[in-house]
This record gives sequence, structure tokens and C-alpha cells, in this order.
Amino acid sequence: MADILEISGLSFRYPDSPKEAVADFDLSVPEQEIVVLAGPSGCGKSTLLRAVNGLIPHMYTGDYSGKVRVAGSVVKESTMRELAQKVGFLFQNPENQIFMFTVERDIAFGLENLGVQRAEMRRRVDEAMRLLEIEDLALRAPHELSDGQKQRVALAGVLAMNPRLVILDEPTSLLDPKTAAELVGLVERLRKDLGTTFVVVEHRLDLLVKVADRMVVMSEGKKVLEGTPKEVLFGDEAEAYGVSVPSVTRVQKMLAADGVLTTERLLSPGELAQGVEGERP
Amino acid sequence: MMWLSSGFVFRRGTSAYHRLDPRVKLLISVLMFATTLLVRSLYELAAVLAFMIAVAAIATVLRRVAKTMVFTATFSLIIFVVNFVVTRNLETSLLYASRFVAIVVSTSLFFITTSPDELEQVMKTFRLPRDVVFAFVTAVRFIPVMFLDTIQIMDAQKSRGLELEKGNLFRRVRNMIPILIPLVVNSVVRSGELAEAMESRAYGAVPRPTSLVEYRARATDRIVAVAAIVLFAIAAYSFYFVLPARIL
Amino acid sequence: MHQNGVKALDEVTLSIGSGETVAIVGENGAGKTTLVKHVTGLLKPATGNVLVDGVNTREISTAQLSRKVGVAFQNPDHQLFSESVEEEMSFALRNFGFPPALVEQRVKWGLELFGLEEYRRSSPLVLSGGEKKRLTLACILAWDPEVVILDEPTVGQDSIQKEKLAGTIRMLTSSGKTVVVVSHDIEFLWPMQPRVVVMKAGRVLGDGPAPRLMQDRGLLESARVAQPQLVEFYENLIERPGAPFADPLEARRWVEGRAP
Repeated sequence: MADILEISGLSFRYPDSPKEAVADFDLSVPEQEIVVLAGPSGCGKSTLLRAVNGLIPHMYTGDYSGKVRVAGSVVKESTMRELAQKVGFLFQNPENQIFMFTVERDIAFGLENLGVQRAEMRRRVDEAMRLLEIEDLALRAPHELSDGQKQRVALAGVLAMNPRLVILDEPTSLLDPKTAAELVGLVERLRKDLGTTFVVVEHRLDLLVKVADRMVVMSEGKKVLEGTPKEVLFGDEAEAYGVSVPSVTRVQKMLAADGVLTTERLLSPGELAQGVEGERP
Repeated sequence: MMWLSSGFVFRRGTSAYHRLDPRVKLLISVLMFATTLLVRSLYELAAVLAFMIAVAAIATVLRRVAKTMVFTATFSLIIFVVNFVVTRNLETSLLYASRFVAIVVSTSLFFITTSPDELEQVMKTFRLPRDVVFAFVTAVRFIPVMFLDTIQIMDAQKSRGLELEKGNLFRRVRNMIPILIPLVVNSVVRSGELAEAMESRAYGAVPRPTSLVEYRARATDRIVAVAAIVLFAIAAYSFYFVLPARIL
Repeated sequence: MHQNGVKALDEVTLSIGSGETVAIVGENGAGKTTLVKHVTGLLKPATGNVLVDGVNTREISTAQLSRKVGVAFQNPDHQLFSESVEEEMSFALRNFGFPPALVEQRVKWGLELFGLEEYRRSSPLVLSGGEKKRLTLACILAWDPEVVILDEPTVGQDSIQKEKLAGTIRMLTSSGKTVVVVSHDIEFLWPMQPRVVVMKAGRVLGDGPAPRLMQDRGLLESARVAQPQLVEFYENLIERPGAPFADPLEARRWVEGRAP
């Protein structure tokens, strides 16, 4: 399968800033992968995301060099109209991306902007609501919804545009653990059912590392670590870069270092216990 | 603040009035407004107010309208006093003061029964530019959010020792600064985030966007509209032409 | 502190002693923040009373209660408004009537403690998210309240920032302050071994020391609270048929004993 996202030598500096926000960044993401992007606050993750969906350079100007190609289109040379249909962006705050007074109208927002005909629009809105299991919220007003519900509405609005790649910016930060787990499950399901590629920025890794195919760590605008989640988290540098290594992974790492347990993937607490079974103290 | 809320904030309703085409609701309110301007005596005004109360009852918003009337009455006291001092005429002063109440109620009736979506529809009918309509709808959509933000900001600042209930007028106004600045800053940040989201969903891609929902006038709407116009015509005629001659 | 209320909070009775470290957990909407707001009088109970250090919250204003109870709310953008960081820090101190010399001293102390001296004259609005959170905490500690309540302090923070925060909490506890943390982040809370109050739908479902509560899977499930990964792991170890351990502590010692 072709790479859905190719970033080559991307560098960007904001007009008022002495330092580059992103420096010489390279990344290739094959289709249908779930990629986790991590790194300390201020490392340039937000800038990178915006360079993928086109807000940089089309909405934010600055010193831009390098190339970003997504689903066949070069970002710098494409219009936001084209890019909006290829890349979806779920912003961190669900409140500030819902414009309309009713849920279904907000989901249709992008489609209205593109001039999609009503019958087709109706079909896509209904489909998006079905995928996110929010059909019963169709006529509700956004301020009546919980944070988790608002997020689903916003995501439905993004998916209605049938993007090939969806960016999620810290989607679980406002959610409680159970709702966060539901969201991660949802992302996995969407990847399977729709074949969408996901790039997720997160600090809370314990849920995401089980489903992610790849992990990329950034620091000060550069890519510093890349690999499978296990490769990155088992390495010694992850913690230095502000990456929250899940507790169970630390234990797994310790046991692996002792030769007690060797697997290719990251284990959940239950799985780890199973793996340790039979060891004498 | 509560007055504004009860008088002008939309809340969902299921009455037949709520279900009228928003353009008809606008027409009714405009006609009511015009009628109030035509009245010449307190009896006529009373008739108009009675009619408004009846409509409010049909629309099941009677309590809110009553609240609005009470709150507006306190403001209209100023109008009454000023008028009375100038003209020394009790009847006309009362008339002007009560007319103010009636005007506010007629506008309020429109806003509390018309959702922002319907408002958008009405604005589109009047061929207002897309950006203006969108800005308006988005602003209205965020009113409850900003209301909640204000409360949270007040909570946070009270928790830092800010006393909002005490002090003379000057002090109280000064104490609003720690509330207003975060509110404004948050609004500015919000606009930035909204702009990003808009761009990311292709806002402005096409000059004439399509619409998921369509409002079509039903027969009922047309009938009510005609009835309203007829009623207005009758009222205008009687108030303006016939009755004054009879009373005087 | 005692409490009793209905609707958002249903017959909640809770007592927190001086110097305790308490974690309040539960899903969104369980009433955790509502509870916190009752402590400083932002909300008054419909029935029952809230007493802070013997004073009923109905009798004095929130501003006065805050002198003893500092609350760090989740969103720093709801607070910051001054022209400079030092002004921001002195806001509360001035409100509480600290004399100017003391204000200066506390501001200096707070800035140093949180590593914000370089921003002393900068506008608080240009700081990064993490710095803003540190600033709001610095503002609170500057007036030295006896009780510090943190509402979701770890949201959006990377692991380095969380480490620093944990360190700050340890410092507060060791200086005898009463610390209450409302958080989803069970992994952050677990090492502190606090007293845990589990809430659901406005009620207190469980209240006790962390080790005991975190092992009660039934309780945690019904409150939709995650179990710390380590606890889950040790529990699983004990339950295994061929398990060599009698209890989680033994298992833990075994695992930790293997640390390089």
C-alpha cells in the first residue's frame, strides 16, 4: 500500500519566532496505520499537525521549507478545499469546533461548504451519526451535551467529509478513563471499517499504545524517536523526552531485562501476569 | 442578566406557535410592534397588551413574558418620570411608559420562540451576506457557553479573594476587571480556534453553500400570516382613525 | 469538614482532617467538582452543612474562605488577567490584606519555587499551558492556605511536568498541609497512596486508604474508575492457579527485587 502521508525535510518558523517550530522533519505513514505522536509540551507537535492538514501554510504564514504530501496532494500547492476532503482534524477542545445550533447541522457543516447536494448530504450525515452512535443526539443543541458527546459530534463532522487521514489532537485529555477507552476502541473500529489512517497526539499513552502501530517522539521541532510503541517505550530515552511510560510497561521492561519475559508486543497487566505465571520467587 | 435571559434567550418549545415558519413569527412581532406605535390611548394599549398575553399563552411562554413585562416595567419607570416632569400629563406619561413595555414584549416574543437556526433562515431570506449570517449564528450558539465561562471565571477569582458582592459602586466596577479580561481573552482565543476549524472544514470553498435543512411555508403558516395582516389592518384603522374621534 | 446535600450531591457526608492527603475519583459528572465548590462556598448545600475549620460556609463569603482553602481550578485561562506575572501573583495577596513587604517576599518565593522568575515582568497570557498551570499553583501557595485543592491538575501535562507536580504535592504534604486532588489520572495518584474517596452520581461509594480501595474491583467498576495498572498486575498474579504469591505486597517485592 502506498504511503498516505509523506513528510520530507519539513521546516517551519513562525514570523515572530527566532526558533524553528519544526526542523527538518521526515515521516512516512502507510495507509491504515494508527500513529501516535508524543513529546514534551512545546515540542512542535501542534505545528506539525497543522502542516499536515494545510492550516500551515494556508492559514498561518511563515518560513516554510520541505514538502508534505498527503493522499497524493502536495499540501503547499493544494487548496484548503481539496485538503479538507483528504485530511480531517479533530481539535483538542470539542466546544470550539461545533458551530451550529443543532448536532446534525453541524455535522453537515463541511458538506454545506463544499456544496454537496441535499440528498447526498443527508445520507452522509446519517452515516456519520451511525458510525459514532449518536443518532439520538441529532436535534440536540451542543451546549446540552457532555464533553464525550461533543467530541463524537465533532468527529462525526470530520468523518462526514470522508477523509483518508484523520488527525486527533489530544482527544482523551478531557475524558475520564472509561470514556477514553471507548474512544480508543472507536478509533480502532473506524480504522478497520473505513480504512482510515489516524495520527494521534497524546500524553496519556496507556490506552493508545495497545492499538497503535507506530510511535513517533518529537522534541524541539525534531523527530527524536520512531518505532513500534514497544521499541520506543523500551528504549531508555523515552522518559527523558517527557513520554509517560505506562507502569505495566516499566514492569515488563524490568522483567525482560532479566530475561524473564520476551515478547514482541506490549502487554496489558493481565497478560503480563499470565506471562509471569510459573516463575518461582 | 436574568431579565435578558428570560426575555431574549431561545428555549425549545413544542407549541403550535413555535412550529410556525420563522418568517411568520417575525411578521407577527413586527406587526405587534407597529400596532404599539399607533395606539393613542391607554385602553388601546391595554387591548394590545392583552392580545400579546394571549399569544404568549398560546405559545406557552406566558411565564417568561410576564417576567419580562415586570422587569421592563421597572425600567419604564424612568420614562414615566421624565415624561411626567416635562408634560405634567399623567395619561400620556403612562402611555409612553407602557408602550415601552409593549415594544420590548413584542420583540422578546420573536426571540424566545425562534431558534438560532430559524434566525439564520430568516436572515438568508433577506439575502444578508453569508459571512454576516454565519457570524451571527455562531455568536448566538456561544451565548450559553460564554455564560458558563463567566460563572467559572467568577468562581476562580472569588477563590482568590475577590469580593464581588461588597463595596461601593466604584469598587464593584473595578472588581469586574478580573472577570472581563479573562472573558475577552477567552473569546479571542475561541475565535482563533473556530477559524482553524472552519478552514479545516472548507469554509468558503463554494460561493453558494447548500443547506441540510429547508424551511418551506405550509398552508397553516400562510393562513396565520394573512390573519395577522388582517388583524393589524383592523387594529390600525380603529386605533388610528376611528376610536380617537369617538373618545374625544 | 462535613457535608450533606441533594441532587448533584446526594447525602454526602465527608470529614477531612488536617494534614490528610485525599484523592477524589469518579467519572465525569459524578459530582467531584460540585463537591469541591461546596468547600469554598461557591455552592451552598440545599440541606446539610459544610464546615471548614469549624466555620459554616453559609456564614462567610467565598473570598474569606479562600484564605484558608486554595483551589487550583482546571483551566488557568479562567483566572489570568494581569499585566505581569508578578502582578498576577500579588492579586490574591492584596485581596487578603497582606502588607506590601510581605507581598513582595511571597511573590519572590513563589516565582523561585516554580521556576518562573524569568517571566516576572512578562504578561501571564503569553506563557505556555504548562507554565500557566504552574503560575496558578504558585499564586495559591503564595498566600499559604492550610488546605490546597487541585482540580484535575494533570490534564494535558507531559510526564516531566507531572513529576514536578508530584514533587510539589509531596512538599505540601510534608509541610503539614491538607491536600485534596480531584483526578482521573489514577496512575498519577497511586504512588501518593492517598486516602481515596470514590464518587458516583453524587454519592460517595467508597472512602478509605488507597491500597484497600484500589483492590476492590467491584467498586471501581461500578464507579467507572480505572484500576492502577500495577494493582491490576499484582492482583492477577495472586489469582493465577499456580501463583507463588500470597498477596500483592509480596508480589511487588518480588518484582521490585528483580530491578537492575
